[in-house]
Amino acid sequence: MEQLYQLLRSCSWFAKVPDCVLFWVSVAVPIGLVLAVYPAIFAYTTLIERKALGRIQNRLGPNRVGRWGILQPLADGAKLLTKEDIVPRAADGFVHWLAPVIAVIPSILLFAVIPVGSGLIPVNLNIGVLFVFAISTASVLALFMGGWASRNKFSLLGAMRAVAQVVSYEVPMVLAAVVVVMAAGSLSTTAIAQAQGGGLLNITNWFVFRPWGFVGFVLFVIGAMAESARTPFDIPEAESEIIAGYHTEYSGFKFALFQLGEYLAALAMAGITATMFLGGYNGPGNDLKYIGWLVGAFWFFAKLMSIIFVIIWIRGTWPRIRVDQLLGFAWKVLLPMSIVNVLAAALYHFINPKPLAWVVTAVLLFIAWLVLTKVGAPQQIEKRVYRYAD
Amino acid sequence: MNYAFWIISAITLLGAFLAVTLRNLVHCVLSLILFFLGVAAHYFLLRADFLGAVQILIYIGAVAVLILFAIMLTRNVTGTEGPREVFGMKWWSGGVIAAAVAAFVLQAIKADSVTAATSTTQANSSVAEIGKALVADWVVPFEAMAVLLTAALIGAVVIALEEVMRRR
Repeated sequence: MEQLYQLLRSCSWFAKVPDCVLFWVSVAVPIGLVLAVYPAIFAYTTLIERKALGRIQNRLGPNRVGRWGILQPLADGAKLLTKEDIVPRAADGFVHWLAPVIAVIPSILLFAVIPVGSGLIPVNLNIGVLFVFAISTASVLALFMGGWASRNKFSLLGAMRAVAQVVSYEVPMVLAAVVVVMAAGSLSTTAIAQAQGGGLLNITNWFVFRPWGFVGFVLFVIGAMAESARTPFDIPEAESEIIAGYHTEYSGFKFALFQLGEYLAALAMAGITATMFLGGYNGPGNDLKYIGWLVGAFWFFAKLMSIIFVIIWIRGTWPRIRVDQLLGFAWKVLLPMSIVNVLAAALYHFINPKPLAWVVTAVLLFIAWLVLTKVGAPQQIEKRVYRYAD
Repeated sequence: MNYAFWIISAITLLGAFLAVTLRNLVHCVLSLILFFLGVAAHYFLLRADFLGAVQILIYIGAVAVLILFAIMLTRNVTGTEGPREVFGMKWWSGGVIAAAVAAFVLQAIKADSVTAATSTTQANSSVAEIGKALVADWVVPFEAMAVLLTAALIGAVVIALEEVMRRR
């Protein structure tokens, strides 16, 4: 934002334009871009998701609206806009109305600190990572408000599950991000992305190629999926158990807003993951002279979409896990693993020939993983006995 | 900047007022969240980015959500039962305590050397400064807090464990 202002100011064409106009333009352009680009990506992500799920489930997916269903998102939007908006009689009207709005706002705010290219960031906060976590916890409020205000037992159950899940997965996720902050020495997302530049083809310095970075990446993606309630962590809206969870009583565009908020949060988390572990905009050719920023933006969006695709892939192929498994997994596996990971990152920093540090931390993390997942687990799964079904 | 201060203050006070006057407990907590958000906005206005983000993370993300979680599981949240008037019989005792606390805080602010200095310079990197202060000058209180929190955590586990044992 400031950079855009400086750029406009220094440009001789705009020398006559008053300062405040330039200021508001440099404020409005990033906001406009965020509001235009990411919802567009959201619309086509739904199409990609339906197509990919269709492929996984051996069917075609949407193919009627336009070629390859390319206009399907527009048709969906028109349908949801014209649908009747039903509010249950017993519902708490104001909170019921407010919940979908609250669901969207934090997700959009998250994009403010995601650097798309070198210097291409809407707001360069020096507490970027902390801002992300602060804002993303606020999204749980929307789930709670929606579930509670509907006065529906299934909605309330969904809201309860959502709160328990988000609170539990928050902790390992923050600890997974701590290693990146330790390595980059800054909470700013731009500084983190810069710290991963250089090396061979601008690739080898990505944090994901360090042992702690890889573990942190996996932990962070799991946490992000749980936080945005994606399958296999979608128990807050498990259709087969509690209808649609907290948005059971929503229809029309309010339902669409919930979907929008959820997908935007997933997109933002994928963007943050790409920035923190996959090098953000760093990639072959992002330091070229005039088109470098374009190449960087290309790499950033390519990484973002790859993460989104992996999340869709996981959704298509993995079953949903149970509530107790979900919470046990967060507290008994992810949390100790993330603490060991913080230790490993510190060791990596202090052991000096870096290949040695690489091996030592990799062995440490591998042992921790073995202890956490294999020790104490039953050697072979017993045959299930069905008491009533036979 | 000044307009922002007044608008944010009005919203903050509105949140605080609604939190104590509304009948429905969930509405009260939601207005309390509005109040927390207003305080965070004040921190941002004062250029204390770190404090503002932590305010949102801790008070809205953790404290308010836990309060909501506890309230959600109780039966009577609509406030249709119980005493109707907000100003109960003992309103004056609350007033005395509030006045005492306000006087004490005012005294502390007046006596504080930071406000007396009225420096207009801004800390260049508040996060790094806070981090260094926590692990260098204030490391003993910091560790004491850590021990306290760990003790609380273990206590919670022990309480939960007893219940599990009894159920078996």
